[in-house]
Amino acid sequence: MASPPRSTVRFGSRRLPISPGRSLLEALWNGRLPILQRSIRYHRPRAPFCGVGQCTQCLVRVNGVPNVRACRYVPGDGDVVETENAWPSPNHDVLGALDLLLPGGIDTLRGFRRPAFLTPLYHQVVRRLSGYGRIADRPGGIEPPAARRIETEVAVLGTGIAGAAALSTLAEHGIASVGIDTSPIAAVRPGVAMLSGTTVAFLPPPRPEVDRPWRLIAVEGRRRGVDVRARSVIIATGGYDAGLWFAGSDRPGVVTAEGALAFTEPNRAPFFRRAVVFGGGERAAEILDRCGPQVDAVVAPGSVSPELTEKASALEVPLYPRTLLMAAIGRRRVRGVRLRSRADGAEFSLETDAVILAHRRLPHPQLYFQAGAEMEWRNAGGAYYPKLGRGTATSQPGLFGAGEGAGFVGTAAAEASGTAAAMQALGEEPPSLANLGRVDAIEPNEIEGYYRQLFAGRRPKGKWIVCPCEDVMLTEIEEAHERGYRGIEVIKRYTGVGSGLCQGRYCLPDTLLLLARLEQRRPTEVGYITQRPPVTPLPLSAFAGLPDESEPTGAAR
Amino acid sequence: MTRASRDRYPTVIVGAGIVGLFTAYHLARAGGGPILVVDRGFLSGGASGRNGGGVRQQWETTATVRLARESVDAFRRFGREFGYNIWFRQGGYLFLAESPAELERLRRVRSVVRGEGLDARELTQSEIPRYINGLELDGVVGGTFLGSDGTLYPFPAIWGLYESVRSLGVEVLLGSEATGVATANGKVVGIGLSSGSVSTDAVVNAAGGWSSELTRRAGLAPANDATRHEILATEPLKPFLDPMVVRLSDGLYFSQTMRGEIVGGLTVAHAPGTARGMPSSPNFLRAMSRALTQLVPRLSSLGILRAWSGFYDDTPDGLPLIGEDPRLPGFFQANGFGGHGFMLAPASSRRVAQAVLGEPTDLDPGLFGPGRFRDPGRTRPVERAQLG
Repeated sequence: MASPPRSTVRFGSRRLPISPGRSLLEALWNGRLPILQRSIRYHRPRAPFCGVGQCTQCLVRVNGVPNVRACRYVPGDGDVVETENAWPSPNHDVLGALDLLLPGGIDTLRGFRRPAFLTPLYHQVVRRLSGYGRIADRPGGIEPPAARRIETEVAVLGTGIAGAAALSTLAEHGIASVGIDTSPIAAVRPGVAMLSGTTVAFLPPPRPEVDRPWRLIAVEGRRRGVDVRARSVIIATGGYDAGLWFAGSDRPGVVTAEGALAFTEPNRAPFFRRAVVFGGGERAAEILDRCGPQVDAVVAPGSVSPELTEKASALEVPLYPRTLLMAAIGRRRVRGVRLRSRADGAEFSLETDAVILAHRRLPHPQLYFQAGAEMEWRNAGGAYYPKLGRGTATSQPGLFGAGEGAGFVGTAAAEASGTAAAMQALGEEPPSLANLGRVDAIEPNEIEGYYRQLFAGRRPKGKWIVCPCEDVMLTEIEEAHERGYRGIEVIKRYTGVGSGLCQGRYCLPDTLLLLARLEQRRPTEVGYITQRPPVTPLPLSAFAGLPDESEPTGAAR
Repeated sequence: MTRASRDRYPTVIVGAGIVGLFTAYHLARAGGGPILVVDRGFLSGGASGRNGGGVRQQWETTATVRLARESVDAFRRFGREFGYNIWFRQGGYLFLAESPAELERLRRVRSVVRGEGLDARELTQSEIPRYINGLELDGVVGGTFLGSDGTLYPFPAIWGLYESVRSLGVEVLLGSEATGVATANGKVVGIGLSSGSVSTDAVVNAAGGWSSELTRRAGLAPANDATRHEILATEPLKPFLDPMVVRLSDGLYFSQTMRGEIVGGLTVAHAPGTARGMPSSPNFLRAMSRALTQLVPRLSSLGILRAWSGFYDDTPDGLPLIGEDPRLPGFFQANGFGGHGFMLAPASSRRVAQAVLGEPTDLDPGLFGPGRFRDPGRTRPVERAQLG
């Protein structure tokens, strides 16, 4: 009996099978991390890195639409997929020679000025190299899809542990609420209204004069605008795994812990045969749980937690505490890592085909900043968190923070903070949140001291790309400092760091620490980038379909 | 807080944006003695770091066309003179008219511009695709195009000027706010700063969006006022758009930067004054997205990367304030550029420096003089910001 024809996408001359509800990245998977594009300035090979739709490293062209993130796109039968910014292919790209010919990079700020008669030609050539994808082949529908309008009592942003706890509590009290989550398969429980596959783009400060002071703009399925009005908002957007700077840190095979988990699903062999895990705590232990047999070594920036020590010893995985990750060896793919002991400076290499960054979790602070909530710097996390008053209350009335992004670390704390936020949104006294895991209570991640030592020592050869979206090098930030530019706002404009498609998620936290060291100031004195909408790049058509502020809003839930 | 190194400067310039730094440059080159530049914020934190990078020479008044033409020449030389590549690309400015009245207005501009020897052309609707592809031209009746207009990358202009003036001995004090202007016998004798006062004979008000506030702090009624305008940038695309495009009806403007992003806005003010900061608004995102995707439908699937806002410093007649304020000798205005300060800065700042040095300038005080609004009839627009 013939089986029904499988759905496929077209990728070059090939047809690749797709599974319902699964991402395009899975269809493009070829047993290891696929190199889908070249970087913007130096055409360095790039493979998927974060697995959660934040980085710039799996952009492809789908049905003539540029810059689609393969890890976030669910393909349909017959979709035509093409690669971008590479010729003839991302694996063998002619312009990749630029990277080899220019080991010190291109000085776009001071170069290409002389001789004057050649300047227009330089500009034409450099301009041809800019950008990722070509403009879309066709209009994407001139009439924008009309936005959904939702009026509710409480909007819960993020439906992980904290958000789900908040929504459950609200449902038990019979309060109209809606959960919003970027995951297309997010669901809390029957009876809880959900907007899944929906990204909150913009949460402006509240307008106290209206009935529902909070108006937030979200985008559903990367296409349709959603205009939500709420009396209260609970932010439970969680955190993410940080990147790390070393020579070749942008090489294919270097992934975040989230990436490693996303790319290593239970029903699929890992993309690596042997991996080096970087991290000394809970997150590194999680990686050992999931793909322990393939892990060759655990390298920790500082000390190693007892739990991780125990797991590593059970798996007979060697541990390298207090060790600097200096360089990724290998050009098109990671073949090994160069390490240096922080204690005695001894250098050594390990062979590996993956580096998994599991050393540091960072909160998503964007929506708090946008909403005008007061923020505070926490040394332990090395990041900004909302300043909380009673329970989960932020400085903005009607805005509550729960879960990891608000500094509540661990499952129990996330759940309790979600419940507390829901109670406070109802106007009730929250249960005590004392004695719960707060970010201040966790072991300092030692990243500040780590970088101090890393930058002070002799550096291995190779570009240190600190902003993979814009191919900004570490030396460019240092030069800006030497020329007298101070503060992160100015360094951002001088170097381009933080202005790329990931909105600075993988470069700004470390830039802040670097500048604090260079300027010999506290990180808070270095300043912070104003968090601009949208939180992540979202299409013009979705915003075009939003209603006018003056238009009446109906309950359309 | 860092204090100024001296107690006395012949000239203090308020504002380390393009106008203030260019003025400092011209003064220092002319040997104008120790100069202090102060700024309340960080370098490029005001409109000089927030504009769309457009540089045009198509204006309604001959005098402005001349300032703009001289500025274009200065931007062409900038890289060699200041050591920074500002990526000035003369891809032209394309104005689009959607009604016979708008077309008539563009024709008047075109004849002023041609009168100054610049090759501005009128385009019929069918000629427009020669300059840009992918526009939805229903409703467009025609336009004008000047190929020597263009766009630049604003930040390096600030870096180049900052480094040049410092190497000429100019002191630049960032994070220091001007709190008041000290006067004696009706003349400027000093300036109050949040980092400590200094005495001076001349204060140049190049504070952009904050300049009307400084005029007020000098005890004078300002003729200008700030309005907040919003702007956005998209994800980078391979180059497809050469000119800056401006639609007259709603002031939609957009161009493609050297990095491939589409950067643009709408020439409508989003809020008056500086009091509420520089936020973005959902309504701008909506209006801009609608306008842009209606004119270039192929952009509709393109992602917005970020939106931001900044201040236009508007005057009632749409022309800047350049020169000594007749109400307070020693107080020099270099503001009121209405969103065009960056593109007109090189030529305008040279004249500000001339005025400070007591040299005659070629500017008509009736058009640019800070005293012109004493004539109560002077509130009708002469240069309309809506042109782009």
